[in-house]
Amino acid sequence: MFGRLLWQLLRGNRGRLAVALVAIVGGGAVISAMFNMEIDVRKKLTQEFRSLGANVVLSGQGAGDQALMRESAAEGVVERLQPQGTIASPFLYVVARTATNQPVVLAGTWLDRAPAITPWWQIQGEAVLARDDISHCLVGKNVARQFALAPGSDLELRYGDKVAHFSVSGIITAGDDEDDQVFANLAAVQNLSGLTDRIAMIQLRVPGSPAAIQSFASQLKIALPDVDARPIRQISETEGSLLARIQLLMITMALLILTLTGLCVLATMAALAMERRADVGLMKALGGSIGRIVRLFLAEVAVLGAVGGVLGYIFGAALTLWAGKRVFGVMISPRLEVLPLTIALMVGVALAGALPLRLLGKVKPAVILRGE
Amino acid sequence: MMARLVQVEGLTKVYGKVRALDGVTFDVEAGEWIAMMGPSGSGKTTLINILGGLDTPTSGRAVVDGVDVARFDEAGLTRYRAEKVGFVFQQFHLVPYLTAIENVMLAQYFHSTTDENEAKKALERVGLGDRLTHVPAQLSGGEQQRVAVARSLINHPKLLLADEPTGNLDETNEQIVIDLLRELHVEGHTILMVTHDPSIGRLADRRIDLAHGRLQQIITISAEN
Repeated sequence: MFGRLLWQLLRGNRGRLAVALVAIVGGGAVISAMFNMEIDVRKKLTQEFRSLGANVVLSGQGAGDQALMRESAAEGVVERLQPQGTIASPFLYVVARTATNQPVVLAGTWLDRAPAITPWWQIQGEAVLARDDISHCLVGKNVARQFALAPGSDLELRYGDKVAHFSVSGIITAGDDEDDQVFANLAAVQNLSGLTDRIAMIQLRVPGSPAAIQSFASQLKIALPDVDARPIRQISETEGSLLARIQLLMITMALLILTLTGLCVLATMAALAMERRADVGLMKALGGSIGRIVRLFLAEVAVLGAVGGVLGYIFGAALTLWAGKRVFGVMISPRLEVLPLTIALMVGVALAGALPLRLLGKVKPAVILRGE
Repeated sequence: MMARLVQVEGLTKVYGKVRALDGVTFDVEAGEWIAMMGPSGSGKTTLINILGGLDTPTSGRAVVDGVDVARFDEAGLTRYRAEKVGFVFQQFHLVPYLTAIENVMLAQYFHSTTDENEAKKALERVGLGDRLTHVPAQLSGGEQQRVAVARSLINHPKLLLADEPTGNLDETNEQIVIDLLRELHVEGHTILMVTHDPSIGRLADRRIDLAHGRLQQIITISAEN
């Protein structure tokens, strides 16, 4: 009978309840769209920050050759401790001389990892895709201009009494010091400089939150006490700060929308409570306890909230797709995990908005039945 | 000898400075039909409300089926209304969005458990077997009042309280409801009915006249006739 009464209550007051339902669906749609976007924006932002390149640097302590690390030892520790998905690339810097005896900074690294570690590089010409390619190099745009180099040019570099010949594969535009450097694979630079198994630093691109990155850096410090391991704070903290701000904005907006939805439901329920005084008076006269009567009305409101939550989620999914495409210019996918959250919030808001139904507890059946 | 079902002793109800009931005393035997008459404001409805557990007296006793209604708290009054009394009101007071059978089942729901078949029989009993799924707006005044009578009887109450049950009905429907009350009386139901109509009052076993909250007289109808 409870279900039957509930159904008739919903049917019998559908006009009034439709107003509350519209408010709940509207609130639910905006809330679910915001949650969908928040989750997706968080993911996309994290990807964007990841594309900024390395976020942890491992370097030796001291000065000169003493600051160099043993490549085999450092890489072994990194491989053991690194979180899944980490990309690492070693670097060795020497000052070489050109055929005209001009100094130039020669950086040795794994050039096949360059797209991941230095994704901001714009390469005119060809990238060097094989780590064992010791005959090709990339040159910064300033170096290329200074020595009139272009893709396909030959470049002779000397270090001490050793000479290496490279073919310029591409010209790098990085927008910073790298424009003044020449990049070759690590093995070539180690051969030229005689610094076998030596590196100056390892740059790592580590996935995860700023806290996880900090934790990884701390573990490296413990495992390699002679080595300085530090997160690149500008990136990791900016990422954390921006995500926190977006989250704060979303929570504030969600609270505002929930409050407005609740107020709308409150106004509707206040009117409904007045209309139902006669019904409640009669139900009390028939022996209905106020607890049982109010439970019936609260169930009605909860159903309203749940239906509003489901419809709100559906409209919110459409809103998410539209806003993603038209406002942000990206595909934002609705998330299924937002559905139970939207339903729970809308049921909560509807129940909070049903506060005026408490007034029904004060209804005196004798007064109502007299028609007052 | 019939058992005493209702015992009212020195019943007084004061609203502010108004004494709606002033020391009313009378008894009702089980199976009796009592007509309660008097001008407006004489305290008839107040008395019926107290006996029905819808109101509480300021002083005095109103014992129904061995329990003093005046001693109940809110929860006790709620149970009392569900189990001991059935109401028929002048304004019918049906829930507008429930069908005839659901209005009857509503009383069952608040009493204990619902039995749709029993509710159907109750409506058939009052001649509404073909109106089970009609909502009040689809029923005539007389039909609505018959639904109210079926609802009042569904939990087998000890006492049927009717407040001007024919006050809103045309002559034809008034006769239908009166015939129904007569049948219930013949079956042994105890009925306490408020009416302004002397012709209806004469159908009862006894008539209680009230004026200004006081008992004026109790007349045994057969003796009057």
